[in-house]
Amino acid sequence: MGMVALGAALAVGLAAIGPGIGQGIAAGKALDGMARQPEAAGMLRTNMILAFAFMESLTIYGLVIAFLLYSKV
Amino acid sequence: MTVSMMENLNAMGISSGMVTSTVITIILCVIAILAGRNMQLKEPGRLQNMVEIGIGKLYGFFEGIMGKKLCRQYFPIVGTLFIYILFCNYSGLLPAAGELPGLKPPTASINCTAAMAIFVFFMTMFVGIRANHGPKYFKHLFKPFAFLFPLMCIEMVVRPLSLTMRLYGNVFGEETVTHQFFTMIPIGLPVVMQALSVLMGLVQALVFSLLTAIYFTEAGEIEGEELETL
Repeated sequence: MGMVALGAALAVGLAAIGPGIGQGIAAGKALDGMARQPEAAGMLRTNMILAFAFMESLTIYGLVIAFLLYSKV
Repeated sequence: MTVSMMENLNAMGISSGMVTSTVITIILCVIAILAGRNMQLKEPGRLQNMVEIGIGKLYGFFEGIMGKKLCRQYFPIVGTLFIYILFCNYSGLLPAAGELPGLKPPTASINCTAAMAIFVFFMTMFVGIRANHGPKYFKHLFKPFAFLFPLMCIEMVVRPLSLTMRLYGNVFGEETVTHQFFTMIPIGLPVVMQALSVLMGLVQALVFSLLTAIYFTEAGEIEGEELETL
């Protein structure tokens, strides 16, 4: 039982590392672009949110697995 | 009274999310009917003006993504999805949402999001078939190389799955975290989480409808590419 709880915590914890780093890089680059070219800010923002959605879904998969495991504890 | 009524409904297989979803639908219908009743061109009423500005902004946003023709055709679907998901997400911000029987964000249940994602999946096919005048649409599965067919199939099937999981996971996760914070520290901390979830609700509604718009655009544009190459 304890191992299942540990697994649930690790599932979401580990799944958050990669997308966290990735979103940081993406947001940084997007802000860089917006600062250089403020007139392109609208398009950049839309695409940034779209890119975030794909990265975020990886964490969400981990979260869903964590919930699945959590219901077994 | 409401508790016993909700228990009866639950016994009939109607969940709190379904009740909230129905109420949201009715509210949206009433707003639409009130705003659309005797519309004025010269001197629009207050409600009509408000709704027009909102829809106009949304239309402009999707026009930039889908292009003029496709946006005109499919904005009703995409815009409806956006508004509906936005209201569903924000219904979780109401006081005692999730605790009160009959009040629970519908998008925090996998059934609601899966239904929308499956609808989008088949609608994408419909858009493609309609734009390409028949089953020629499915040729895009063999497009770059024929041996990539299994990979393209997987990509197509994964789309509704990821749409479902993204919306469900975000809203359900946010609800759960707020609940946990509330049981830990009832004062102060949940407010921070609620403020975050205002942003989250908007972004998730935007992401769902944006991805839908992009899938529609991708499906609808294939014909144009083929015509250019021919």
